[in-house]
Order: sequence, then C-alpha cells, then structure tokens
Amino acid sequence: MPRIGVFICHCGHNIAATVDVEKVVQFARTLPNVVFSSHNLYSCSEEGLAAIRKGIEENKLDRVVVAACTPRTHEPLFRRNCERAGVNKYLFEFVNIREHCSWIHAKEPEAATKKAMNLVAMGVAKAALLQPQTEGESNVIPVALVIGGGIAGLAAASALVSQGIETHIVEKESALGGMLREVHVIGPDMVDSRTLIDEYVKALERSPKAHIHLSSKISDLSGFIGNFEATISDGRCDEKVKVGTIIVATGGRELVPASGEFGYGSLTNVITQLELERRLARGEIPKSAVFIQCVGCRQPGREFCSRICCNASIKNAIRMLRAEPDASVSLLHRDIMSYGTAAERAYREASERGVNFIRFGLDRPPVVRQDGNRLTVAVFDENLEQELRIDTDLVVLATPIVPVEDVKELAKLLKVPIDRHGFFLEAHVKLRPVEFATEGIFICGSARWPSSVSECIAQGLAAATKASIPIREGRVIIEPITAYSDPEKCIACGNCVLACPYEAIEIVLFDGKRKAKVNEAKCKGCGNCVAACHNDAMEQKGFDTRQLGAMIDALIKSALEVSQ
Amino acid sequence: MGAKVVVLGGGIAGIQAALDLGDMGFEVHLVERTPSIGGHMAQLDKTFPTNDCSMCILSPKMIMCADHPNIILHTYSELERVEGEFPNFKVTIREKARYVDVSRCTGCGDCVAKCPVKVPSEFEEGLIERKAIYMPFPQSVPRKVTIDATKCRMITQKKCGVCKKVCKAGAIDYDQKDRLIVIDASAIVVSTGFAVMDVSVLPQFGYGICKDVVTSIQFERILCASGPTGGHLRRPSDGAEPKSLAFIQCVGSRDARTHAYCSSVCCMYATKESILAGEHCPGIKSTIFYMDMRAVGKGFQEFVQRAQRSYGVRYINSRPAKIQPGEDGKGALVSYERRGAGGEPVTEPFDMVVLCPALEPKSNAQLAVLLGIEMDADGFFRSPDPAHPADSTRKGIFACGFSNAPMDIPDTVAQASSAAARVAELIFGGGY
Amino acid sequence: MSDFNPTILAFCCNWCSYAGADLAGVSRLQMPPNVHVIRVMCSASVKPEYVFKALSQGIDGVLVLGCHIGDCHYLTGNHRTAKRFPLAQKILGEIGLDERRLRLDWVSAAEGEKFQQVITEFVAEIKKLGPNPLREVRP
Repeated sequence: MPRIGVFICHCGHNIAATVDVEKVVQFARTLPNVVFSSHNLYSCSEEGLAAIRKGIEENKLDRVVVAACTPRTHEPLFRRNCERAGVNKYLFEFVNIREHCSWIHAKEPEAATKKAMNLVAMGVAKAALLQPQTEGESNVIPVALVIGGGIAGLAAASALVSQGIETHIVEKESALGGMLREVHVIGPDMVDSRTLIDEYVKALERSPKAHIHLSSKISDLSGFIGNFEATISDGRCDEKVKVGTIIVATGGRELVPASGEFGYGSLTNVITQLELERRLARGEIPKSAVFIQCVGCRQPGREFCSRICCNASIKNAIRMLRAEPDASVSLLHRDIMSYGTAAERAYREASERGVNFIRFGLDRPPVVRQDGNRLTVAVFDENLEQELRIDTDLVVLATPIVPVEDVKELAKLLKVPIDRHGFFLEAHVKLRPVEFATEGIFICGSARWPSSVSECIAQGLAAATKASIPIREGRVIIEPITAYSDPEKCIACGNCVLACPYEAIEIVLFDGKRKAKVNEAKCKGCGNCVAACHNDAMEQKGFDTRQLGAMIDALIKSALEVSQ
Repeated sequence: MGAKVVVLGGGIAGIQAALDLGDMGFEVHLVERTPSIGGHMAQLDKTFPTNDCSMCILSPKMIMCADHPNIILHTYSELERVEGEFPNFKVTIREKARYVDVSRCTGCGDCVAKCPVKVPSEFEEGLIERKAIYMPFPQSVPRKVTIDATKCRMITQKKCGVCKKVCKAGAIDYDQKDRLIVIDASAIVVSTGFAVMDVSVLPQFGYGICKDVVTSIQFERILCASGPTGGHLRRPSDGAEPKSLAFIQCVGSRDARTHAYCSSVCCMYATKESILAGEHCPGIKSTIFYMDMRAVGKGFQEFVQRAQRSYGVRYINSRPAKIQPGEDGKGALVSYERRGAGGEPVTEPFDMVVLCPALEPKSNAQLAVLLGIEMDADGFFRSPDPAHPADSTRKGIFACGFSNAPMDIPDTVAQASSAAARVAELIFGGGY
Repeated sequence: MSDFNPTILAFCCNWCSYAGADLAGVSRLQMPPNVHVIRVMCSASVKPEYVFKALSQGIDGVLVLGCHIGDCHYLTGNHRTAKRFPLAQKILGEIGLDERRLRLDWVSAAEGEKFQQVITEFVAEIKKLGPNPLREVRP
C-alpha cells in the first residue's frame, strides 16, 4: 500500500491569496493512500524542503506530492529533496496550482480552491501508481557548435576554444564579424570595431581547436544534448559534424524603413544609421544632420524598443561634432535610452557639444520635406510645446534591429521557440537568459534581443560557460521517461517502429517470437509509439495508461461526484 | 582541476558566478557580508516583466549554492586582505563571530522569540524590527541565527543570556571569536552589487520629513506577503490603504549634484510596483514621474503598456521639484511642471509617494583599495577594455553585475556567467 | 442551463502548450476555472481511449493541445495527432456525443494569450452544449 504525503504550497500569497490552502490540505487527507498532508509558505525554500523531508521521515512516506508552481522550473529541486530523504526521485508528483490555477482565476477564489482540490486528487491518483526508476546516462561528444559568426558568436567560440573545447563556428557571410563590420566605431568608448573583431578572429584562427566555416549555413540538424548531428552546407558540399552542445548566435539586421517613411527612398539624403556609418567611415562628415529615433518601432505592430539606437545616434552625433565642431545636429526622440553609466555620460557630452535633443510624441511624428537641395524637418517639440522647423543636409532614421530573415527555418531545425517578432525565446527571461528549455542548446546576442556590443560579448561568454559544462562532465542524465513494450501483448505490427521519430524501436526475436524492443539510449520519451500501438503493448514510464486513467477517474470523482 | 576561486558578494551575481564556477570544477569560496546569501533580489516581491515571485525563482539557486559539492559559503564574512598576483592570490577572509555554533544551530528560532532587544531590521528596510539575535529572512541560506554583537546585551554589558538558556541545541557561544581564513586563490570575482542611496540628503523629495514618502525598496517590502504588513498596501502615517500613489524616478540619479549615471532598473521596477499596487488595491490611481522611460529589454514596452491600459497608470514626463507633507501630516503634495499648464508648476496631493533612489556601488571604493583595481568615474568596476566587459584593471580579477555597471537581473546573470568563462579561459587556457 | 459548470480535461504537451499555459499564468491572464491540465510529453502520446474514457464517464469536454505543425519538439508527433483526432471526433459523433466536445488546437510556448483564448472559447462552447448526456449513465 503506497503511503503518500501531500504538501500544499502557499508560495507567499501567490497561491494563498486565491486558493484556500488549509481546505486543500484537509481535502488531501481524505484521498486514497494519503497518510499525511501539510502546507508550506515557500516549499522551495530551505525551510520548506526540510519540512518535506521531516514529513517523509516521520510518516514513513514512500511517495510525495507537492502542489505549488510549475514543474518546469522546480521539479528537479523537489526530486533531489525526496532522494535526500530516501524516497526514489521518481516517486514524486508535482501539481501545478499556481500558473494553472491561482494566477488565472484570481477573482474566483471558491472555484479556484475547488479546481486545486481536483488537481491534487489527480496528482495523488498518479502518484499511487508511480514506479521507482533509475536514471540512465548518455555520453557527450566533446565538440561545440556555434551558429553565427558575429560578435556574440565570436566571443562564444573563442571562450570555448580557449578552454580547450573543439568548436565549429558557422557563418553565412564570407567573413566573420556580422553586423559589427558595418559599424566602424563602437560607442561610448569610440573603439574601432575592426580591432575588436580581429582580436577575436585571430584567437580562433590561431587555435587548432577552432573550425571556421564561412559562407555556410546549417541545412540539417538532428539529435539531442550530447549527441547532435549538424549538416554544414556551403552551397557546394555538405559536411556532417557531431557535436555535444549548440550555441545560437545568428544576430539581427537593421530594419529598412518602409518606402516613403520620413522620405526614405523618395528624398535624397534620408538614410539609415548603417548608411551613416558608411559615410562617416569614408570621411564624409555632414555639416548638419537630424536624427529621427524610433522609426518603425515603439508603435502598434512593433511595440518593442530596440535598446541600442539612441546610443548609436548619440555616438555618431559626437563623432560628427568632434570632426566638425560647428556642425548643426538635432536628435528627435520619444525618450533617450542612455541607460547606465558611460552611455549617460555620452548623452551629456553630446548635449554639451551642442546636439539639440527634441522630444516628440507618437501621435505627432516629424515631417520631412525636400527644400531645394536640402531637407526640412518639421517637428512639434513637446517640451517647448512649439512647432519647430529644422533645415538640414541629412536625415538619419534610427530603425530597430529585427531578427534575420531565415530565423523561422533555423528555429524549426533546432525545435526552439521564437516570439512573435522572431526573437528566440529563452528558458526563463530572468534567471536563464542564455539557455533554451531544450537541453544542450543556448542563445546569445541580438538573435535573442537587440544588444550592445559589450552585452553581446557577455552573453556569448555566458552561453560558452553553459555549453562547456556538459562537455566537461562528459555525460548527461537520461530522464527515465522512456517507452517499453510488453511482449505478452505485442503483436509486432510495426506501427510503433513507424511512429518513432528517432528510429529507436526495432522488431527483434524474443523467445522465438517477433516483438518490438525500444532502444533506451535513442528513446527521447515522446510517447508517439504509445498512441500508435493498437494492442496497448507500448507504455511510457511516468506517463502510462494506468496512471493517466487514474487521473481521469480521480478528476471525475472529485469534480462530479461531489456535485451529484 | 580544483583551482580555487573567491567570489566576493552573495547576491544573484555572486550566486550565478559561484554555480557556474562550481559546475566547471573549481573550488569556489563565496563570501557574503551579511548572514545570508540572496542580496537585494531576496527583498523584492516580484521581478519585472513577468512578475515572477522573486523569492520563488531565487530560493532554488540559493539552495543549490549551499548544496553544491564545490561551493563553500562564507557568510557574515568580509574580505580582509589580498596579496600576490595571478595565479597566486593570497586572499584573507574574516569570518565574523556569530556567537552561534553553526554546526549545532537548527534554525528553530526559539532564541529569537525570547531575545529582549529590538533593532530596526535591515532586510525590512527599517519598517519593522528584528532582534539582536536574528535570521535576516525566513528563507535565509544558511538557515542559522546570528548575534549582532553591537546590540547584544550579553556581549556589550555582560547581562541577559536568555538565548543561551532557551537554546535546546546548545548552540550559543558568547566567547566565539572572528576567524581569519587564508585562501590560495587563482582568481577573484567581484559581485558586490549595490546599496540604495540615502535620499534624506535630498530633502526636497521629502524623505524623512513626510511620513508617507517611502523608498522603492521599502515599498517592495510593504507589497511582499512575508513583509512587515503581510502584503497589505498601507501607508505609514495612519495605516490606511492609499487611493493614489506617486512614483518619483531618478532621485539622486542623473543628477550632477549626486550621481550623473542612470541606475537602469528603476523605470521598470516602478512600472512593476505600480502594477502590483493595482493588483493589491484595485482602482488605485498611480502616477509615475519620469525623465525618460527606459523600457529597453524584452517585454518591457509591453509591460509599460499593460500598466497604462490595464491599471490606468499615468506616466508624466516631469521631474518634481518639491514634495511636502500633506494635510495633517498624511500623504504628500508633489509639485511639478506640467505640460499644457503654460509652464506653471502644479501641486497635486497623493496618499503615498514612492521614491526611486540612485543605486550606489557602495562596496567598490573599499574593494578598489583592497584589490588594487580601478573604478570608473562613477565608482563602478566597468571594464576599460570593451572586448572583455567583465575584466577589471588587474589580471585574474573580474567584476560582474551591478558592481560593474547598473544592470537588471538577466544582464547580471549573463555577466556573472561570462566572468566564469573568463576565469576558465585564464586557468584552463593558460592565458588571456 | 445557466448554472451549468462544465468539467473539462486538457492534455498539454510539455514543450509548447504546457509552457504556453504557464506563460498565461505568469502573465496573469484570467480564464474560467473549468479546465484541468494533464501534462504529457507530446500530444501524439495521447491515446484516443483516454478521450473516450473521459467522455464516457461524464467529463463535459476534452482539449488536446500540441505544438504548431512544423514545430513539434519530437519532429513529427503533432502530424500524427492532427490525423488521429478528427477520426476520434467522428467516432464521438457515431456514438451520439457532440463532436465539438473534443477539440484539438495548437499553442506555442510563447502564446499565453492564445491559451487564454482557446480555454475561454472552449468553456463557452461546452456551456452552450450543456452537460455531457452520459453523466447519468456512469456505472
């Protein structure tokens, strides 16, 4: 007879403000096989975990159910805690009563409490049927792959090779450096970008551990952490490489303004920031310029702020004024995003050098017109509450960084999510900024979010740290959620073989009869074979038919019978 | 393998750096000045822009640090001295006397209940009191008590001794002494974070003068369910629920008289606090007085829009000149220049005011001397080399998180991991 | 039937729809409290028999939520789900249950709002269909 302990978490007031935790605790005690139930303020704190261990010891529990937040964050923590108290890690069930209950039914506390009880009943029913499991191990190929050779990818790759890890870096252009090659001077320290890029490129070229693939793309990818297989294509031939971990560093591109937007494409001398970079690099310093910020962003359809454009414009304005102290420069903005220390100083310097900072509103954008061989910009200054007219030689449109055009293809190949703008979605926006939820794949730089050069470098290095750890450990734990076949029921129809996306199932001879057999090392625990099996022979550990059936029975009993 | 690294500062930056370095096989000594790791993130109610419960996402990382086979925690400890050069730093740490035998203390709290001495709680930003023997917060790691020697009657006057009497584990030791520990470290990572500026030096903002003017970190504690008001939004003067709130950005930041820099996170946390206030007190009217709304990160602009559309938060582009006590000393009067008012200043009453103070890298000045590294013009350890953002001016010493530059939690976590990469590069790779 | 409160079951896949549901929660998107999630690794592991069991025992509606076509974490799983469930719906019709009591949809990890929309729509739909006629017939 299983001895189940149920622990309901308050999560501060995240759960307790809506769900009547005490009621759920009482209810849990009435469920079959539950010998103990209790609650914690924060189950994931040291105090909460200790209380769970104490509950296990004092009540001789052999299964634990915690009703709290989402298993996708804290399941490993609670599993380890069970193990510490002598309960097999896989005799633990996590019930989500926060993201899936208290947070989404905040105005219906009674209904939320009832639903929490239903969910706990389902969790307890499953827990009663869990089986102890041992984890398998899989090797890790000690090679890393960095997709993208811009500054983030360069920093990541050089960090990896400097640790002695063999690394492939794949770049679609014919030279390394990405967008940074088009930005000649990096603000606010006015560092030459070529020098910075060369430092990283030389480190890679010097290292026997680095394999640089230029004019190349990833055309195919399969596998899982420790054992990925990537196909690198340069248009003429394909090279298959086996790697243990992958870093995505595909960067972004400058959004080209819509035709006619602020005169772009129709008026002469209305250019983008990168076009200005090219002119400044050629020594063409204008005598006057008007920067217009937030072109194509911070507006309906593309609400985000591209983070680096204010600082880029300020940097270029300072460059212009250092070269031509009498130049007339205005910067039209809706907020100046010079966050931090050095950027704020640069903002001050620009102002002291005479840059005119003019605030306009989203509802009254500036208007750019041709005036002979010059341009005129009309703008309503929100601070002066006055319409201004500026005559200028050049209008620079600061547009956002957006994801590269083929980002969807790459996301599909890697099976990682992208948000609606096309930026890659990290595992957790606060505490796991350079990781994907999928193990073994990492993200850095502007492919994740528009980032400054130093931020791209920091993220590249961070991704390299993460990517190096499984390689250094040499092995990964295989979660025991693999499939297995019951030879008594299997009729070797072969449906499971066809259903398996990983070719992990074979028909073999078992006691003289043909039966399906799952290769545990290849099985990824998707359960496709389970639903494909017509004879109920195939099951998935941790998600078997009896367990799911018991959950359905428990829901019916808890939700329907009480109301009858 | 087994090279030692000292990480100075146990907030989220130090915790992340320690975990990464520990996972990479280094022996990590994580040094934290206060009795528990966690830093300011432990004080927050929620984190922007997802409004995750801060302690919920931090606590597992704190526990991982305590459990990690390669991480040794030195809490209630400070850096005493650093000698030598990379790769042979000799780092002396002073483990201050807790007057508690941590091997026996079970964290039961019986001593705290009986201690007669009350002192303003640092963790609760002075809003309530703690005892002379205390645990900073319930989820402290390590879960041990500490005696504040400056306040304890036994240690200062040889009177009392109640805690020793009630301690069933026999863990109290009034004769304990500070311990000096020497670590032969190959590298040092600075992650000492920030301190909230004392805004009473700017009397025009009313802090310390108006009862209902609080700092943002105090406001976090008020919002937090485990805080001084049990998560009920109440104003200090009369305990009433405020119907109107004003947030004042850039108090001490972007100000030539105090700090020229931008503290980076305040626009976003004020937005967050205004949303949380709206959740606690539906219908509350919040106003954010700002200079530039720096919503530059992922999901940030949408977060600001949510505050405006779903919670009616008003964003006013103006820097208030003066905040005075309201009628009967309750609430406050905020004077500011409003557009459309012909340049005349406007004075508006609010039930409560939240100031967003500058965040200062307070530990940096002393560390700069002890470590022999240079600060930038604003007192941060920002790298002089843009190619290596977490490097300091000395080989083998790195700085990450807020001690390096004002930054939010995701940037801090990334930079902490990047510092770990630099340490690994140096030690495994044999060079820069 | 204005006070009819349906009991609904949803199978959500770990990588996409369960994560999308989590995001909806984190974003505090409010929705009716009638839906109970069972986490599976892939929508393609959901056997039609679970659906039939649930509906035959009185559950008012079943949702199966997977990754968008082309985005399945396990490559081709959701293609199978897409083929399987219209057939299951047909069978429901054959046994006298309204096909609309089973719904298949795709929600990605980034689509908190879509999750909210699907839940809200489905609950409204089931409310209109009324209680599962098999509720009284349970053994």
